[in-house]
Amino acid sequence: MALEIPKVSYSGKIKEIVLGKGDKALTVGGETSYPFYLFEGQMPLKPRIAMEVYDSPPEDWAPTALEPFADVASDPVAWARKCIDTYGAEMIALQLVSTDPNGENRSAEEAAALTKKVAEAVDVPLIVWGCNNAEKDTEVLKKIAEDCAGRSLMIGPVTEANYKQVGAVAIGYEHTVIASTPIDINLAKQLNILLGNLGVPDGRILIDPTTGALGYGLEYGYSVMERIRMAALTQEDERLQFPMICNLGKEVWKTKEAKQSRDEAPKLGDPAKRGVLMEAITAQLVLAAGADILIMRHPESIALIQDMLNDLLAA
Amino acid sequence: MSKIICSAAIRGAHNIVDKAEQKYQEVLDKWGPDHPVGFPNTAYYLPIIYGILGVPVSKLGDVRPVLEKCRSLLPPLVSEKVWLPYLAPTLEAGMATFFAEEIIEAIRYLEYPDFYTKQEDPIGGNIWLGAADDIILRKRGVEFVDGTAPGFAAILGAPPTKEIAAEIAKELQEKNLYVFMCAENNGVRMSEQLVEAGVQIGWPTRLVSFGPDYTATVFAMGFATRAAMSFGGIKPGDFRGNLLYNKNRIFAFAMPLGPVSDEWYANAAGAINWGFPVIADTPIPEILPTGICTYEHVVSNVPHSEIVQRAVEVRGLKVTVSKIDIPVSYGPAFEGERIRKDDLYLECGGGKTKGVELTVSRDLDEVEDGHVEMIGPDLDQIKDGSKLPFAMLIEVAGRQMQEDFEPILERQIHHLVNYAEGIMHIGQRAIMWLRVGKAAVEKGFRLKHLGTIIHAKYHQEFGAICDKVQVKIYTEEAKVDEVLALARKVYEARDKRVDRMTDETEETFYSCTLCQSFAPSHVCIITPERTGMCGAYNWLDGKASYEINPTGPNQPIVKGECIDPVLGKWKGTDEFIFKASRQKFQTASAYSLVHDPMTACGCFECIATILPLCNGVMIVNRDYLGMTPCGMKFTTLAGMVGGGEVTPGFLGVSKHYIASRKFLLAEGGLKRVVWMPQMLKKELEAKLKSRGEELGIPNLFDIIADDTKGTTEEEILPFLEEAGHPALTMESIL
Repeated sequence: MALEIPKVSYSGKIKEIVLGKGDKALTVGGETSYPFYLFEGQMPLKPRIAMEVYDSPPEDWAPTALEPFADVASDPVAWARKCIDTYGAEMIALQLVSTDPNGENRSAEEAAALTKKVAEAVDVPLIVWGCNNAEKDTEVLKKIAEDCAGRSLMIGPVTEANYKQVGAVAIGYEHTVIASTPIDINLAKQLNILLGNLGVPDGRILIDPTTGALGYGLEYGYSVMERIRMAALTQEDERLQFPMICNLGKEVWKTKEAKQSRDEAPKLGDPAKRGVLMEAITAQLVLAAGADILIMRHPESIALIQDMLNDLLAA
Repeated sequence: MSKIICSAAIRGAHNIVDKAEQKYQEVLDKWGPDHPVGFPNTAYYLPIIYGILGVPVSKLGDVRPVLEKCRSLLPPLVSEKVWLPYLAPTLEAGMATFFAEEIIEAIRYLEYPDFYTKQEDPIGGNIWLGAADDIILRKRGVEFVDGTAPGFAAILGAPPTKEIAAEIAKELQEKNLYVFMCAENNGVRMSEQLVEAGVQIGWPTRLVSFGPDYTATVFAMGFATRAAMSFGGIKPGDFRGNLLYNKNRIFAFAMPLGPVSDEWYANAAGAINWGFPVIADTPIPEILPTGICTYEHVVSNVPHSEIVQRAVEVRGLKVTVSKIDIPVSYGPAFEGERIRKDDLYLECGGGKTKGVELTVSRDLDEVEDGHVEMIGPDLDQIKDGSKLPFAMLIEVAGRQMQEDFEPILERQIHHLVNYAEGIMHIGQRAIMWLRVGKAAVEKGFRLKHLGTIIHAKYHQEFGAICDKVQVKIYTEEAKVDEVLALARKVYEARDKRVDRMTDETEETFYSCTLCQSFAPSHVCIITPERTGMCGAYNWLDGKASYEINPTGPNQPIVKGECIDPVLGKWKGTDEFIFKASRQKFQTASAYSLVHDPMTACGCFECIATILPLCNGVMIVNRDYLGMTPCGMKFTTLAGMVGGGEVTPGFLGVSKHYIASRKFLLAEGGLKRVVWMPQMLKKELEAKLKSRGEELGIPNLFDIIADDTKGTTEEEILPFLEEAGHPALTMESIL
């Protein structure tokens, strides 16, 4: 007697979201099964990886992480170009850390001018990520949305504290919002409802469920991502049927383990490989939990993940 | 609708359409049908015509069918002897008015290209800005979406003096509203009055001088119509969607200042289509019933000093308070702060003096928003280390306010006051206790600031139900006694209301799915007699929470037909459970722990479970750390029961529910309870005793075993037998 493998029956589908504009625009989403369960449904669109670019020269980075970008670290435009030209980046994520009021506190005008320069220099989809200070991000993202009207940026993090202001400019100037909530399925759903009520079209919402690094709470985020996908695909939860984005590169590379030298941590193996593998494993896990877009740092970890994606999706 | 208004509006509409036709014929003869016509720099053509009819007017030839549409919309003039209802035809006349006026204004752009400045500010002597182009629309429209500008006042005419004009403009600006101005009152225009009064006008100050004539009203209406298309995804020609978007989202109103002409009436009738009411300073007839607009349609004869406040109320605009203006820091970080004796400046209540705090609802006209009054000495008039009697009377009013919400608002006082640095608050009602520290007083804190805090936070957190908030603080003994007497009456009425409310008397229950974040299939059903198992949400909380946050975790459930009154099952609740548990559960009993008990989240205050040997039920609370007769501690039980699962024989319950008449009705109610920790018994002593009386078992409280009698079934059974506990002779629980 042949063994009949039981299959999950899915009732939902993840919405397809177009990222960016023009020839290099990408589409993500469209899943009708759990991640890579190709024997149960479809995953017609490959998850995509955005390479990080920072708006100010990195301090305190692990040598491994800095090495590929050492020549461009103080020029975000050149950095972005290098990601595309040398490492074949399919997307860029501009991390606006210098706008943080507790740090350099650069103005919204400066951030917008820089974003515009980067946006003009690249033709791939561009993610713009604020400093995680809701008040400052509001100011910065509003200005950027206005100055980069019609460029179809992905802007975030959009939180419950600023969804009205940022959502409104996203509608007005045609950008996609990254709806960010702190590892909580209900809050994620609620924010999506609120954005919908505000008038943000469904085709322009991405979920950021909040990602922790390997060994730093990754499992919490993983569970919530799983739950979001279950609700979206098997429980007809329409307000959760959006692609998910994970800003994981900076989480991984700020951990102690990713930065320690061989002298500091002689038992943790080759520091040149350690951070790369930590980043790749984190990426692999969030993909297994349902991520559609990853923001990553190191070209080698990205290459590992691209390999894995090609293998898994070829089956 | 008032016949006078309708007759005038329809007359006015006829005049305006006549005028448009005449102008159109003139320019058509001059330029021919292929000549371009339109407003500058916009992709929305003539926006009202485009938005409502879906007709893109780009050349003169396109205008004719629109004028024909105007004619077909125009009802005949109202005659003396006809007494038909006029609402629909009048609204259509208003719509025709706007189409015709857009045509008139578009022709003006054709004939006099430089009549309007076509930018954000006046240029030189020309103050008339004309239609907003798409850049202005987008920049300003964003503010309408994100709420920084909730809406606009479309002002026709002018008030009697430039001082009044400046005052009205300032008040509207303070409410963050845009002021769209047009038309003249006896040759006087508000935009010109403002310039004379030295007020800066233009889009940047939100005082927009659209045009000198009443026809410029269409620039305001066109702005609203375009906002719906640009930000609401409303398609051109979807008139219903467009009008509803405006009614629900753009808090605009028309404010005719001066005698209302037929043409003004026609414009007002048009604005009502968009859900924008009319607030006039002249004694025109009023239209008060609700219908097209959210509340009243036409409110008249309003004095200039009250007109802005009145307009805001009629349109249902919410006040936003962004900053709490007090001299000490404010936030959750200060909630747990204690004021020790040595730091104490003032102490009120807490058994040391009389103290009371009360929140009551009033009619809208009885409350002046933001009014904070201090009656009696404040902190700067007393000595360090003083004690004062204290009463805080908070009066709120709101269209959506209900008496039932009073206790919920009142309960917030505790944490809202505690958030202030250097202030300590304990208790509530007439047992409140307030301490103010020396450091806070040094920084300039006064008791009056408590009112500032309450006003701001009630608006911020409960804006959905509070439109107006005023606070009176008393530190004079006689006044405090007055408030105390009032409070006692209110508390008594409230308690009675809650007592009388039963699951039979209310048609709507509330859900709570707050815990679905970690218990995905958990659905709590909150009824008047069954509070949420966490003890934090009772039925009134559910109701208020839904009013305040309609997309939140507390949703109304119309209970529908009763399936089983003893188990506590209704059609409506079962349907809701099926949906909200994502098809995992089809039914749940509100009053049973054996038959389809409710799911448990993990936050339950207590767990009830069966003790088979005693044929009864035991209840253990979270705070009790010891062993229980079922052989498991609370923590072990909680691990078994939670996570959104149904575990027959186990139930999460709140402390309050234990004393409810509906407590485990299916298993025989409170009579089944054979064991509780002593601490829980003590906490519920009064309630349990009175329930025992009600059940005809006056000693019930005493015959429920506790941890002093034993922590195994074998230990407590002899006690129950000796006491003659009713559970032992009830039918088998299994």
